[in-house]
Amino acid sequence: MNIDELRNRIESEITSLKTFEDVKKVKASLLGRKGLFSEYLDGLKLLDRDEKKIFGKEINLLKMHAESRLKELESFYLEEEKRKKEALDKIDITMPGKIPLLGKKHPITQTLEEIIRIFTSLGFSVAEGPDIEQEYYNFEALNIPKDHPARDMQDTFYIKSDIVLRTHTSPVQIRTMESQLPPVKIIAPGSVYRCDNDISHTPMFHQVEGLMVDKRVRFSDLKGILSIFIREIFGENTPLRFRPSYFPFTEPSAEVDIGCVICEGDGCRVCKETGWLEILGSGMVHPQVLRIVGYDPEEVSGFAFGMGVERIAMLKFGIDDIRQFYYNDIRFLSQF
Amino acid sequence: MRIPYEWLNEFVVLDINPYELASKLTMRGFEVEAIEEYKPSLDGVCVGEVVKIDLHPNAKNLTVCKVRTVKEVLPIVCGAKNVKEGDKVPVAMIGSTLANGLLIEKKNIKGVESLGMLCSEKELGLSDDHSGIFILPGEMKAGTKLDELTGLQDFVFDINVPPNRGDCLSVYGIAREVGSILNQRAKLPMFKLNGLSNKEISNLISLSVKDTEACPRYVLRMIAGVSMVPAPFWMRQRIQKCGMRPINAVVDVTNYVMLELGQPLHAFDYHSLREKRIEVRVANENIVFKTLDGEDRNILKGDILICDGSGPVAIAGIMGGENSEITEKTRDIALESAFFNPLSIRQTARRIGIRSEASLRFEKGIDLDNVDFAAERAIYLMNLTAGGVIVNGKQEVYDKKSSKSIFVNFGKIIDILGTPIEHNAIISSLRSIDLHIVKEEETGFVVSVPNFRHDLDEYMDIIEEVARIYGYDRIPATTPVGSFQVPKNEKRSAYFSSAKEYFTACGFHELINFAFFSVKDIENFLINSSDERFSGIPIMNPISKDYEIMRTFLAPNVLKTIAYNLNRGARNLQFFEMGKVFVAGHDTMPLEYPSICFVMTGKERDYFWRDSCAEFDFFDTKGVLEGFGARFRVQFDFVRSSEPFLMKNRSADVLLEGIKIGWVGEIEDSVLHTYNIEQKVYSAELRFDIMMEKSKINVQYKPIPRYPQVTRDFAFLVEGAVPVATMLEQIKTVSPLITAVGVFDMFKKETKSIALRVIFQSFEETLTDDAVNALQEIIIQKVTSIPGVTLRT
Ligand SMILES: [Zn+2]
Repeated sequence: MNIDELRNRIESEITSLKTFEDVKKVKASLLGRKGLFSEYLDGLKLLDRDEKKIFGKEINLLKMHAESRLKELESFYLEEEKRKKEALDKIDITMPGKIPLLGKKHPITQTLEEIIRIFTSLGFSVAEGPDIEQEYYNFEALNIPKDHPARDMQDTFYIKSDIVLRTHTSPVQIRTMESQLPPVKIIAPGSVYRCDNDISHTPMFHQVEGLMVDKRVRFSDLKGILSIFIREIFGENTPLRFRPSYFPFTEPSAEVDIGCVICEGDGCRVCKETGWLEILGSGMVHPQVLRIVGYDPEEVSGFAFGMGVERIAMLKFGIDDIRQFYYNDIRFLSQF
Repeated sequence: MRIPYEWLNEFVVLDINPYELASKLTMRGFEVEAIEEYKPSLDGVCVGEVVKIDLHPNAKNLTVCKVRTVKEVLPIVCGAKNVKEGDKVPVAMIGSTLANGLLIEKKNIKGVESLGMLCSEKELGLSDDHSGIFILPGEMKAGTKLDELTGLQDFVFDINVPPNRGDCLSVYGIAREVGSILNQRAKLPMFKLNGLSNKEISNLISLSVKDTEACPRYVLRMIAGVSMVPAPFWMRQRIQKCGMRPINAVVDVTNYVMLELGQPLHAFDYHSLREKRIEVRVANENIVFKTLDGEDRNILKGDILICDGSGPVAIAGIMGGENSEITEKTRDIALESAFFNPLSIRQTARRIGIRSEASLRFEKGIDLDNVDFAAERAIYLMNLTAGGVIVNGKQEVYDKKSSKSIFVNFGKIIDILGTPIEHNAIISSLRSIDLHIVKEEETGFVVSVPNFRHDLDEYMDIIEEVARIYGYDRIPATTPVGSFQVPKNEKRSAYFSSAKEYFTACGFHELINFAFFSVKDIENFLINSSDERFSGIPIMNPISKDYEIMRTFLAPNVLKTIAYNLNRGARNLQFFEMGKVFVAGHDTMPLEYPSICFVMTGKERDYFWRDSCAEFDFFDTKGVLEGFGARFRVQFDFVRSSEPFLMKNRSADVLLEGIKIGWVGEIEDSVLHTYNIEQKVYSAELRFDIMMEKSKINVQYKPIPRYPQVTRDFAFLVEGAVPVATMLEQIKTVSPLITAVGVFDMFKKETKSIALRVIFQSFEETLTDDAVNALQEIIIQKVTSIPGVTLRT
């Protein structure tokens, strides 16, 4: 038995290896069931005991050696193989991904939903009313009789002599009180209309009306609720003030101003150098209005407020032309 | 209302910075919207006394004035004709610069040295008057700086007077509020009538008031022999600061007193009054009357008229007639000061379309107690500024009524305001604004309302006054004491929000359009006259023709938005809008219901490097709609549409439980062309109210099957126009084990080939091949029994 020949063959087979495939082939041809070692080990049978012992030992040593060499080479080429494959698979992760298309709610809707969220969390229910409204609900029932000076404050679109496009969301106050007994705690968001069209007016815009009527509702409660709202929507540290004003359907009436969000009170073009911005109108429900809906002003009292959604959205988003909301330019809409 | 600080200072002592005063007024309910600072640049201009005037030796139109300033007497060449010896005039000294930028230098004018310049008001930037040199008040000292002239440096407050506070449309009215702020009492101007004639007014003119409801107080006074000269500078200056235009002393005085005291006045030319009498009455027939602006006005029965012996001479409180107007020749004046019924003035002024400073004040109600004083004040000022002699006495009709009083409960004040204000503080607050307590009891008090406060009718009005004077900022912020209420009706707004969320998640931007459109839009969309969308509700006074009726559906405005954006370079657009539409109802009120419209044009995105991006088609739009239905758990059915504005072959009506609730499809090319759109547009519109009503919101859980599902594919050849829906329906009827059928391929060569995938699922056992094969046979048999359908092999 020529062990040297075996050693040489093993050596030449192993040194000629170039790929992972070669390793597998050589492994089979050397160590496989019909491989070279099997052949030699079979050949041992023909030898006597002592020779068997000597050659057997030699062959086993060679086999262990070959096995370990091949194992090393196998993992080496496996690694190499993997590296080559990876190199082929490699993608440029800086290529742009496919962004799902996402539309935006109109900024007015976003603002409205935020206002509604705040008031519903304070226990107010959402109420609605028609856009095309009877003059009675829009004016008379709100203590604005025909020829009342307050009608000058609003330019009304008429459908018929006694039917108008509501000029404010306040008619919803009346409709709600007519249909239920106190306690009442509602907000009424919606579109309103006035004959105006310039940089600061559009013929249609949005308001949110609020009303709370119950036993012992106080002016101080109005201040409390509206302060919570304003701090929630404009930030915890927003300065605010309540100042006397006039609305025919509230008394005492208050205009609510916030510290100018643009100049922080120093005075600028937006706040007309006053440092304050008018944000909503409010007041205690006028006893005459309570009487009109059949409530007893001696028994219950309430407060009401109304705000322009566009104005709040303009301040929040820094928009300076109200008409932008209605051009619906995609370059505008997609910003919010 | 514009209020000069300097004028205000005549009624109260303003020991307060104007900006601080402004913020206090604002917190009293008189919002100061702006403060205009008057600060003329008069550096180097001083008062000069004209000592001597000589003709210019070399120029006919010029004079040489010797003008004394502090120490020196300067020769100044002048072109104006109104300067007399002894006049005080403004002198711009050498080296000074005028308001218009002119630098004053030593000059030699045609051989005479001129050391300065005499200035007109315009040259000093004080007014537009350039008719001559500005003659200063005689009492000014030569050599003093011109800045010291009263009223030149000033702050003018632009005050937003609340519409119910007509009493504050005057300097005195505002002064009353300022007085209350500063713990003072505003003082009325003091004067004494001079130059009285020996004639009695009763011998010159008579007065009668036929209707004291229309005119409870009327005062006539007279002045004779006035001259039509300009008013003095200080008066013109104040009138201008208040935003009015000076005309002549007589007219200016009427305006001045109105601005000062809030009482509008009217001056008649005495000699034009026929029969020398004034009669106030209500028109008893419709007539035409020419007002002093030369317009013919329609007077209707009920309007208040001022008449002389033969007919109307003025529309009371609104405008005088051409026939009795003050002219350059007028010398003798009959002056009217009156109170007219506010409602009547308002109606007449509105109808005629004249909103003057006078009618504005009459409409809001003036101070009945002040009518006579204002007349006296005006006649005094006319005499002061326009000369003449004041005729003795007055003619007056006064239907005196007792003033209002109101009872207020102390407890109510505290209950309403939510803060305990001391009784004394309440009383003194009210006193400070002339609301005097006539009776005080344990529980409350009675307050009398002065005649200038037309806005105070009941206890709540008084509570407001208390709050206003006490200060809104001193009232605390509290939380309501009532029980907590759980909000109701949240479902509806939740529906709207989730609908909007669905569309934004699908890549659509939300639109909000005006709720109006034009008749033209209905025509453009070819809407049939029997369609409810044909008759939009018209607006009587639309802002323009584009917004003349209420929209009956959303699509036209949405399409206009597409056109707007395409014109600005956009190519791919996906929009949706939710909003009310308006159609005629059965009773007098129109119907309003929420509608939802969406639109897509172009493609989802311009490019994505890995994929090819296809143009939108009908099925993209239909898919969005089907997904929307699924979102609200309703099942839409689709049938071919006959909407005139949709492409016949690529459109469908959308049915929900057999009711048509909308449409979907490609907009007809001709419609697109009317809006100048040149690319395909797919759109859909639905009635959202019906969807909400039918939406099934209660979800019931179905157990998840424990046995595997089996999938089988089928391919059929289809000839003619067999809708795939028919095939799907046939398959679904085969067995309840069929849980889903889908179309997974469709192509067309000579005939159409459709590939369907059917899912079989049992909840009781694992389905055997044999069982599924049997069902498969029935499916093939059922589908191929449809005429025109064969199995593809
Ligand atoms: Zn500002």
